[in-house]
Amino acid sequence: MTASTFVYDSDQARTPLVTEVRNLWAFRGLLKLLVVRDLTVRYKRSALGVWWTLLNPLLTMAVLWVVFSQLFRFETPGVPFTVYLLSGMLIVTFFGQGVAATGAAMVNNANVLSKVYVPAEVFAVSSGVAAAVNFVISLIPLFAIQLITGTGVPWSALLIPIPLVALTAFTLGVGLIIAAAAIYFYDVLDLTNVFIQLVSYLVPTFYPLSIVPERFVPLIKINPLYSFLQVFRGFAYEGGFAPGWNFAYMAVSAVVMLALGLWVFSRSWKNLVVLL
Amino acid sequence: MTPVIEAMDLGIAYRLARNRAGTLKEFAIQAVRRQVSHEKLWAVRGVSFEVAEGEVFAVIGPNGAGKSSLMKAVARVLPPSEGRVIVRGAVAPMIELGAGFNPELTAHENIVLYGTLLGRKPEFMRERVAAILEWADLTEFIDVPVRSFSTGMLARLGFAVATDVQPQVLVVDEVLSVGDETFQTRSRERIEELMAGGASILLVSHALSLVEETASRVMWMDHGRPEMLGDPEEVVAAYREWSG
Repeated sequence: MTASTFVYDSDQARTPLVTEVRNLWAFRGLLKLLVVRDLTVRYKRSALGVWWTLLNPLLTMAVLWVVFSQLFRFETPGVPFTVYLLSGMLIVTFFGQGVAATGAAMVNNANVLSKVYVPAEVFAVSSGVAAAVNFVISLIPLFAIQLITGTGVPWSALLIPIPLVALTAFTLGVGLIIAAAAIYFYDVLDLTNVFIQLVSYLVPTFYPLSIVPERFVPLIKINPLYSFLQVFRGFAYEGGFAPGWNFAYMAVSAVVMLALGLWVFSRSWKNLVVLL
Repeated sequence: MTPVIEAMDLGIAYRLARNRAGTLKEFAIQAVRRQVSHEKLWAVRGVSFEVAEGEVFAVIGPNGAGKSSLMKAVARVLPPSEGRVIVRGAVAPMIELGAGFNPELTAHENIVLYGTLLGRKPEFMRERVAAILEWADLTEFIDVPVRSFSTGMLARLGFAVATDVQPQVLVVDEVLSVGDETFQTRSRERIEELMAGGASILLVSHALSLVEETASRVMWMDHGRPEMLGDPEEVVAAYREWSG
């Protein structure tokens, strides 16, 4: 092993952001293993296995479709309601799952973190990345439905990695802040679930923006998730760029949130393990 | 020669559990009542020592003396609250072996995962799976989820992974006392091999005769403070007298 030259000095200064990025790179092998473990263990004991990843969004969509297209009718001009609904749900689920998993990562892995030295951010980031992989897998049912309903899949779908990377960064940023807070106060995780629900209802997933009263529209548009959703829908089925404003807002909120999350996490790191 | 482990005026503090607000709700209540406390419990304080290459350094003391916290500081798990610790070289932490095992994964998958947690490369671990299983005498269980393993089997697997590569520092917390007689003999042989390879050992143990027999120096701790440091026979004798 080349580790023979490795020196651990507790006085070594920790530079926020730089240290985290360096740690993640050094432990990239572990990061990959943890992501795979996250994705496989969840379904290990079920007969359908990984197929659940495909079925889950479809089943949830089916329920919402019955409720919102048969009982409460919403018109979504230019696109079938199922496509509108599923595309919105994918973004919101990605964000919700990612934030919840990243936020709980430290608490869930406390038994490892208090016995073996592993940079804590590796666990947090792996949960966020696993949510992103789940999102990519669930694009398959979305595209299938687009083909079935005759919406088709435009070439711009190849650009989906852009909102994907941006939303991963944004989700990780929010999740890291929650992960740090959850160590101090356990109920932060419960509050997070409420917060996620609130934020999810504030973006037009199952309702068109046109039914929202004029005075509430700014409230929706200020939600960063809205910009991610608009950009994603633009690429996934509208076949074009969303307004530049949404694109810029998405990019800025992704970068700012990730930096903020890493910074908060880095600042509180020293207290983390002692509290676990 | 530079020592492998250096602890300088090391201190580790925990926030006192009875005062710590576990939830945001409790914290809010305490804040309103102005009862938020920043009282600390020093698990380790004012501890300084050096461990040279190939040395066996033992720490003894009653429960709650701060021995485990000290080990975790050397294993890089706990950052010191004050003072400084320097460790030159790779550490094989044998603190609750197999803490990184996932019950749903198979023995094969867990070897790779645990080894990677210990800082080794996944590709390297994949090559080592067969040898590790053979040493642990678990080859036939390669594809069995470890949730069906017995405690002894888990300990063997954890030990086999942790000691698979030559470390510069072995941090040992009573693990030698797990498993049956055969396994104990074999694990002791493995540790002797690693020592012959130049590993230093930081040993925490209640087995005073083992400490006397193997350690080159002993530190006796009580309430987080070092009581005595020196020759094994002297320190163990003084500790025996003190504890009655």
